[in-house]
Amino acid sequence: MEQNNFSFKKYAWQQFKKNKSALISLYILVGLVFIALFAPIIANDQPLYCKYKGETFYPAFSTLVNSSKVDSVMNDAGVVEQLQFDITDWRKLDLESVVWAPIPYSPDKGDRYNREYVSPLDEQRYKNSDNEIVAIPSRLRHVMGTDKIGRDLASGLVHGTRISLLVGVLAMGIASIIGVFLGALAGFFGDRNLLMPRAKYIFTLIGVFLAFFYGFGVRKYTLANAFSEGNGLIELFISFLIIVAILVGLRLLSRLFKFGWLGKEVSVPIDTYISRGIEILNSIPRLILIITISAIFVRSIWLIMVIIGLTSWTGIARFTRAEFLRIRELEYIQAAKSLGYSNFRAVAKHALPNALAPVFVSIAFGVASAILIESSLSFLGIGVPDDVVTWGSLLNLGRQEFEAWWLVMFPGFAIFITITIYNLIGEGLRDALDPRLKS
Amino acid sequence: MLKYIAKRVLIFIPTLLAISLLAFILNISAPADPVEKLSNTADKEGAANQQSNASKKTKQDLRKKLGLDLPIFYFSFGSLSDCDTLYKVADKDHAATLSELSHYYGNWEDVSAYFHQLSNVQTSHSSLDLEEIFMMNTDIDSNPLYSKNEINDVITQSNFEVNAMMETANPSVLESKFNSLDELYSNYSFLSVVKNEFDLAKVSYEKMLSQKSSWKSYVPQIIWYGSKNQYHFWLFGDGKLRKGLVRGDFGYSYIDSQPINTKIWSKVWISFSFSILSVLFAYIISIPLGIYSAYKKDSKFDRISSIVVFVLYSMPGFFIGVLLLYTFANPDTLRWFPISGIQDPTLFNPDWSFWEKTAHRAPFFILPLITYTYSSFAFLSRIMRVGVIDVFGQDYIRTARAKGLGEGKVVMKHALRNSLLPIITVFANIFPLAIGGSVIIETIFTIPGMGFEIYNSILNSDYPMIVAVFTIVGFLTMIGYLVADVLYAVVDPRISYK
Repeated sequence: MEQNNFSFKKYAWQQFKKNKSALISLYILVGLVFIALFAPIIANDQPLYCKYKGETFYPAFSTLVNSSKVDSVMNDAGVVEQLQFDITDWRKLDLESVVWAPIPYSPDKGDRYNREYVSPLDEQRYKNSDNEIVAIPSRLRHVMGTDKIGRDLASGLVHGTRISLLVGVLAMGIASIIGVFLGALAGFFGDRNLLMPRAKYIFTLIGVFLAFFYGFGVRKYTLANAFSEGNGLIELFISFLIIVAILVGLRLLSRLFKFGWLGKEVSVPIDTYISRGIEILNSIPRLILIITISAIFVRSIWLIMVIIGLTSWTGIARFTRAEFLRIRELEYIQAAKSLGYSNFRAVAKHALPNALAPVFVSIAFGVASAILIESSLSFLGIGVPDDVVTWGSLLNLGRQEFEAWWLVMFPGFAIFITITIYNLIGEGLRDALDPRLKS
Repeated sequence: MLKYIAKRVLIFIPTLLAISLLAFILNISAPADPVEKLSNTADKEGAANQQSNASKKTKQDLRKKLGLDLPIFYFSFGSLSDCDTLYKVADKDHAATLSELSHYYGNWEDVSAYFHQLSNVQTSHSSLDLEEIFMMNTDIDSNPLYSKNEINDVITQSNFEVNAMMETANPSVLESKFNSLDELYSNYSFLSVVKNEFDLAKVSYEKMLSQKSSWKSYVPQIIWYGSKNQYHFWLFGDGKLRKGLVRGDFGYSYIDSQPINTKIWSKVWISFSFSILSVLFAYIISIPLGIYSAYKKDSKFDRISSIVVFVLYSMPGFFIGVLLLYTFANPDTLRWFPISGIQDPTLFNPDWSFWEKTAHRAPFFILPLITYTYSSFAFLSRIMRVGVIDVFGQDYIRTARAKGLGEGKVVMKHALRNSLLPIITVFANIFPLAIGGSVIIETIFTIPGMGFEIYNSILNSDYPMIVAVFTIVGFLTMIGYLVADVLYAVVDPRISYK
């Protein structure tokens, strides 16, 4: 009975659970994801809930939906009082009941009374409702200090979590799609096994040119505008759809030319193409390449993620290729082929699930290095807009002021811990998924 | 083996061409215009003067001198709406506007006519004479209508608006500028010269809109330029000043017009000494550490050192660097080491002997060197440990022990040699690292090496430098891989290349 219920996934999870440090890292990661998801609720200078002049508001939530929300209340004297949610200083209002965010500051707004690097240990100032400057109430303390213009570090860290995790997920998402796809192509077909009629070959080559032309060339201004407005990813996705549509369309079109010289089958040296491409990309210093590209385009955090993704797929592709080289010789693939299954089915249904285990490991390590690259870039002040708070940019602020140790220690440790847990998870995955590598 | 090496070296050529071309295209498509920067540093007379004819002429000459008035490559891949002589437009912002306009409207003739007319409007400003206008503009009692300041302000404003129009293709922005300028010109009659040109520009703008044929930007087109292009000259020289890459010449820097080769040579020794010293230290620490903890696997020592090494491995380099600076070069805590640079300019004497120089520089080198070393150290000792553990499980080790060999001999002679592979991998990275430099570490410590140089080149759009670095690093990386592969075969006879 036991034997029947055996599944590789279950086995791998059991193995993973045995690795204590990997498991703890996974819990910490879940915690970080939680912080990232609820950042605007954890750190916000607007109350989560408040009652003012008899009316109930949820400012932190309302501004999530509509950042310039305006509401009004009726005064006792019958005067209408305008409340623009993101500008109003809620602390000054005479609220009847209120629930504050755990960190009552927003990352991008400076506290005017605590400018010029206020240490978390030093005395912090506060202007109370009688307009007197007093010591800060403990609820409002900047627990991790402030920077030059009085922005709260703890709030910056919480919001920076979003960016760091997103970089990891998005950049590696892009990298793994490209890497797995190209690696599988190269490994499964090699130089000799990808056969196609000449017409299809020619049409695909033309299709690549046309796809890039219509996907990027024609849409370059649309894309550039979209990235500077912040919805570049959607446009990029549309470009991607156009590319796929053109490639598929031309492949279908090529079926019409199945005669004579055009109809003859030729082998495509796909492995050589892809391996050369990997070699070229690997010979370029990655950080310098990323810095150069991000110096060219508009500063946008989304663009940085895309660039990191587009330049870091080679490792994954090499892993996938090696796995496929091994798998394609195995009996079950031979069986699938002799049963007459299509190449696509053999790859997608039979080879891919078995090749993914080591790829996951390399993705986990890749996430760590993507986060490292993003924080290095924002540390150098390249590519990330000035108003976006990231861990790297916070650390850079600390580098410029020798007394502000908190600006170095807290973001530095945040980066360090995130990278460490991804590395530990990667190790745990490697031990669990790939028994061959276990010592 | 020789055949294998020859084959690999042959592949270098297309790969290098591809890398240099990629770097070339990346840099040329950057929006920053080196000519703009250079001419600005040459003549800093304020914004009003920038568009004067004299500075236009200097810019034109500079572009010619740098070879920027040529197409980039042998051919270009674009759409039917693209103009094939766009590279001749002197100003990079104007070229961008033109290309965007032709992308939207597709009728190149009209677009260029409109743009030409706009630049006529602009030049007509320079024909205005402040004194003359001031004298002419009088009311019936021959009192001046406007003060000189007022006239000057109006002219500056009009000039500014026209300049802005030349740098945008956004229809709504253009529309509003047309309207505001219209109003300006109708209010101030002394601008009639400008107004005449402006009306013509408006006509040509309307024409451009009415003759819109945006379908053209959806038709792909390949434009052939021939061998008179920037890449060709970069590769083979232009027969005059530049000798070309095939003769080992990378051209001249845009920043200070120094030959790239001299610039790189003057910087590379710094990065090179850092990379070679750090790898040396990393070897000295990590090889014994890796072997010992593998030998004493699962002992207390192994566990603790594994954790320490893992922690170091996950530590970002810039964090370590900043922490070191904070601790050891901070007037508030410990001031043991200098903060930045590699020598003290007030004390350093170029006539010193090598040892004196070294002694002077040592304190400057220590902190960066630690930062450099620890990253390869952590990687190396982890990989050493795994490798040696793997080797210890092999049959020949058991055989060696069974033969009665001493533990020292087993480890040093049998195990060590077979775990040398990772050492080679790290060694292969020294040379590319020396040129590529560590941008981050050198920036933190302000070390005037290659990394810092590259960082500045990118920020200052010194394209010849960046292209040279890409190409050299690409070359060295491939050499490094090749040397590593050959060394693998030398160290491990089981590896062979046929």
